[in-house]
Amino acid sequence: MDFIATHLLSTILFFPAIAALVIFFLPKDEANLHRWFALGASLVPFALSLYAWFNFRTIQPGYQFEEIYPWYTAIGSSLHLGVDGLSLSMVLLTTLLTPLAILASFSITDRTKAYMMLFLFLETGMLGVFMSIDLLVFFVFWEIGLVPMYFLINQWGSANRNYASLKFMIYTMGGSLGLLLAVQLLGVLFKTYDLQVITEQWATYTAAIGGVPASTFKTIAFWAFVIAFAVKVPLWPFHTWLPDAHTEAPTAGSMILAGVLLKLGAYGFLRLILPLYPEQAKAFAGALAFLAVAAIVFGAFASYAQTDFKRLVAYSSVNHMGFVVLGIAAAAFAVGTDDARIALNGAILQMFNHGLSAAGMFFLVGVIYERTHTRNLEEFGGLFPLVPVYGGILIFTSMASLGLPGLNGFISEFLVVRGSFGVGVNSVPVMAIYTAVAMLGLLFTGAYILKGIKKVLHGPLNEHWAHGEHKLTEINTREIIVMVPLMALILWIGLYPAWILDVINKAVVMLF
Amino acid sequence: MVPLSWYLIFAAALFSIGLFGVLSRRNAVAILLGIELMLNSVNINLAAFWRYGDVRMMAGQVFAIIVFAVAAAEVAVGLALVISVYRRRNTVIADDINMMKW
Amino acid sequence: MTTETLIWLIPLPPVLAFFLIVLFTNRSKTLSHTVGVGAAILSFVGSMVVFFRAVGEEHFAEHPFTSAVNWLPTGAGWFKIGVLVDPLGAMVLFFVSITIFMIFLYSVGYHNYGQPEGDHDHKGLPPHGATIEHDGHKHVVPSVEPMYSRFFAFLALFAFGMYVLVVSDNLLTMFVGWEIMGLCSYLLIGFWYGKPSAHNAAVKAFMTTRIGDVFMLLGISYLYSVTGTLTFREIFTEETLHMLAEHTTFFGMTVSGFIALLLFIGTVGKSAQWPLHVWLPDAMEGPTPVSAMIHAATMVSAGVYAVIRMFPLLTADMHGHGLPTTMAIVAFIGAFTALFAATIAVAQNDIKRVLAYSTISQLGFMIAALGIGAYVAAAFHLVTHAFFKALLFLGSGSVIHGMEHGVLHTRNHDVDPQDMYNMGGLKNKMPITFWTFLIGGFALSGFPLITAGFWSKDEILADAFAHEHWAVFITLAVAAFLTAFYTMRQITLTFLGDARTEEAKHAHETPWTMTTPLVILSFFAVTFGWVGIPEHFPVLGPLFHKNWFHDFVGHTLAEVPKAPEFSWVPLLTSLVVALGGLGLGYLVYRNVKSVSEDKLQIPLLKNKYYFDEAYDFLFVKPAYWFAENIVYKFMDQGVIDGILHIFGPSTGGIGSLIRDKFDLPVINRFFGDGSAEVTYWFGGKLRAIQTGRIQQYLMLALVVFIAIGAVLFFVLA
Repeated sequence: MDFIATHLLSTILFFPAIAALVIFFLPKDEANLHRWFALGASLVPFALSLYAWFNFRTIQPGYQFEEIYPWYTAIGSSLHLGVDGLSLSMVLLTTLLTPLAILASFSITDRTKAYMMLFLFLETGMLGVFMSIDLLVFFVFWEIGLVPMYFLINQWGSANRNYASLKFMIYTMGGSLGLLLAVQLLGVLFKTYDLQVITEQWATYTAAIGGVPASTFKTIAFWAFVIAFAVKVPLWPFHTWLPDAHTEAPTAGSMILAGVLLKLGAYGFLRLILPLYPEQAKAFAGALAFLAVAAIVFGAFASYAQTDFKRLVAYSSVNHMGFVVLGIAAAAFAVGTDDARIALNGAILQMFNHGLSAAGMFFLVGVIYERTHTRNLEEFGGLFPLVPVYGGILIFTSMASLGLPGLNGFISEFLVVRGSFGVGVNSVPVMAIYTAVAMLGLLFTGAYILKGIKKVLHGPLNEHWAHGEHKLTEINTREIIVMVPLMALILWIGLYPAWILDVINKAVVMLF
Repeated sequence: MVPLSWYLIFAAALFSIGLFGVLSRRNAVAILLGIELMLNSVNINLAAFWRYGDVRMMAGQVFAIIVFAVAAAEVAVGLALVISVYRRRNTVIADDINMMKW
Repeated sequence: MTTETLIWLIPLPPVLAFFLIVLFTNRSKTLSHTVGVGAAILSFVGSMVVFFRAVGEEHFAEHPFTSAVNWLPTGAGWFKIGVLVDPLGAMVLFFVSITIFMIFLYSVGYHNYGQPEGDHDHKGLPPHGATIEHDGHKHVVPSVEPMYSRFFAFLALFAFGMYVLVVSDNLLTMFVGWEIMGLCSYLLIGFWYGKPSAHNAAVKAFMTTRIGDVFMLLGISYLYSVTGTLTFREIFTEETLHMLAEHTTFFGMTVSGFIALLLFIGTVGKSAQWPLHVWLPDAMEGPTPVSAMIHAATMVSAGVYAVIRMFPLLTADMHGHGLPTTMAIVAFIGAFTALFAATIAVAQNDIKRVLAYSTISQLGFMIAALGIGAYVAAAFHLVTHAFFKALLFLGSGSVIHGMEHGVLHTRNHDVDPQDMYNMGGLKNKMPITFWTFLIGGFALSGFPLITAGFWSKDEILADAFAHEHWAVFITLAVAAFLTAFYTMRQITLTFLGDARTEEAKHAHETPWTMTTPLVILSFFAVTFGWVGIPEHFPVLGPLFHKNWFHDFVGHTLAEVPKAPEFSWVPLLTSLVVALGGLGLGYLVYRNVKSVSEDKLQIPLLKNKYYFDEAYDFLFVKPAYWFAENIVYKFMDQGVIDGILHIFGPSTGGIGSLIRDKFDLPVINRFFGDGSAEVTYWFGGKLRAIQTGRIQQYLMLALVVFIAIGAVLFFVLA
């Protein structure tokens, strides 16, 4: 127990990877063993992060549960782990969604061993990004996460998986090249990669390098960071990998992609860009806000135009993550004001909320896809009487995604809108216009969600699914168990968000 | 004392006879004989240089002995090859044994 | 229990009922409706206790029931939510709880509780009737709704939304209730989701109101941003309102005016005002209790209630006589809608659609009243309208239900049980329904002195007249005339004369669960007007001592509005339009036998001025076209993916360029293959000397030896 208390984060971080190695030595054909072992192994980090959540002292500034190990001393990089309110909520989201995703993939029968191993490796990769406070380690985990996801899409995906997985991999890696260079620049300048040290010195760094004034290369490095994270978020117009990857990935893969991987980008904005480049962020916040609004509006429109159910949900992620960036951009304009804090609260909560509702939506799409082997909305219709429980769950989750008050999405969207509109009214008028335009996206969020419900559940019953071998079966217990925690959290955050927002809010107040 | 040049002239003559034999005779055994002559002409040179040089340096004599040994071995192998070829091809004429070409 | 605790508890029973029904009791119809109606009764009792405590309280307006808790952390502070019941809230709670309770009770009968399961009924479609054997011959009787439990669950959630909205002390939770009702109206309008028309109507309702909602959300954000609070009592302080009215913002409007306008757009959507009125008539696709719930008691009233709530904000920048921009807009939209919807109503034949347009029109009255600053009159009309419109909707449901009996009897399913031209003479078949409907209709028309509608409508007209808003006064007067006219048309066509179809002859009175609510509501539709008789009204005014309603509700505002001076002009106008409209309606439609004799079936009116078609053409289709072709196909798949796809081929192109122009010719051909070829060629030339003849080799060796020796000898020596 003592060991865990002093090595809490590293245990959470590496436990899945070790478990994955253990799976490697399990017999090859015991699919059930792989499944249950992976599920059990992924529950341990969840339990530990709950422990961390309850032992986290919200009023204490800085990182907690810090651990530091030498890693690459020659260049001043160390395995430095730590969490604050911002990253802890993301860690909790990751460790919560992974067991659910693994439970969701119990229906995978093909090469379960490799599949489960990849999933656990993926969890370590994602957790590493949220936990590391060393830039180089951050980058390493950032890239590590790609590999298992690439194989999950490429090996277990649907028809167009080669194209999608390649696009995902190349795009994300291409985007992060600039990030790598910029990270190296910081490492060379300060002889360390420790984020705390760099944050202190870099923000006030003014000396020229090789005759180039600080502001110029800071701007370049800023954009290198922005592009890397913008691809991941994804921000318009870097978003087109997402519909492909989400659509082709296996169900659980989409859950994790939408639930956690997208958050890595937004987390990068919050953890690195705002603290490291306050001036540049302020200078270019208008551009960011513009792209965010474009993501919100065009994401909603594009989603509305889909006939593929999963693609519709995928585009909704573009729409929702746009609100996160809108909040960040608004905060960048006016760091330190209450408006900025509210916007950031909203953005971070939106990350968490989108993790819940998007994972749920992808899972529900997966449930019906497994039974019908089609995602084409035109082939469904009137399925509600056949699957009343599924229908109820789908409507519930859709409404969370739509931002219905009383469910989680509304709280975060309201806070973002309130924050950015507040920035618009109180300091930068253009934000008010951006916020107003974003409302158009909010309107069309309703349109595509209702379109989804209408095409799947409502309307005259498509007799094809009513009888015989195609008869649609109701959602089963295992699948309901996947949805229950998500729905409970959706409702809980919607009714009483203070339990999580308080942690986020205190972190935001201390950070910005 | 007979001057050194006599020995050298003799050895050169002997070498030339041997070389002529090697190049002109058609019989493989005769060619081998020519080779023996050439080797032995070298031995004469070696012995002569030893005698007319520093007598304490034994290298000339030693080298002559090595040449004997090599010559003996070479003749043994050469004759064996000749006999083997004769058994297969029923000839010892060197011009007829021309399989070793492109 | 303190009143504050009780107020917190009022919205709870319906939401608990919702979860109970959805999670546990949905298989049992009896349990489900027990839970649902039970919850409605609990909330009703709680509301009544609160209402009467409020009425009994001295200086209640200065010390309303309120309490709040922390909810959202926002930077340094907290956003608090809480409950507030002030005189206005108490009044709204009063009528809301009664109508909700009535509607729950009515739904039991409307959905044929106790009847057998239908022969061919499907979930998602209205029940079609069941065949039973009785004394040897077969009967077709109405069958129970297949999704009976679900209906009560949705209805309970709807009630929850309304209670939340009413007891909220701040705009945000009010908006929460507002949106929950939006969801429920979507679910309930699309209750028979198997019918394409129903789910299209549901989507239309949700989307149209959402247009208003996003503006409202902006307004809320704006208000929150400038004042730092959303709690009504904190916003409506003199300093805050003064501050908001002093500053100007976009389009040169005052901040308060601009915010009020944004919030008002929300109301335009929710209360179905022009130009966002299109969803409400289509919402008639839902079961009738839903129509009553949505149109009368709750959702559409919520829109008006929101404006009444925000009245101090609306009037913050009002100085002297002229109307500020926002109020002028509000007044215009209200008055215009009142007239516009009334003209459509005269040409509709569907019994529920007439009522739907009449609802739009009546809401226009209230909005117009608010636009000209007639706070109490609007609130008064809101309450009376809720009673008589709920009554009318439930009555029309009863009529339809009776007609469905007839349809089941004749088994001619081509006959539309909602078309008034298929009815006639129902007075004798359905007496309770007839008399209550008549009361409701007369209240709607403003039948003088005895009905509630007369007093509230008269007060609006009196206010408009007293403050010299002539345009509003005349428009509303004309609208009131049309209202009386189409109401009488409806009553005449439905109940009077002879039955025009076989089905109408076999119509039946409905069960007690449906008629009891009608009777109770008609009681209020008459008597509720008497609490608001103006003090100076001849004879009756002194009789009732004082205008209780004005006194009670008026104190909600910091500055109690003055009742308009009594004048004969508006009173006579009211009398003339009401009686004239009713009389004319009866005279014209008394002898109309079929739809072809109806002179008012003008295509322009019949087709609602083609608004649906125009919106479809202007907004819906272009939006989809834009989404599909521009955003998705052109931008994402064309431009962005196109650019991405250029990377692939261009990388490949550069690669093959390097391979074709450098790797293959230079490295492979020249260095690799070249050296091999040279060697090969050279060997080919040399092999001639490889004869296999040992003596030639030796000869060659000799020649070379001699040559080398010669070179060494002659060159190096």
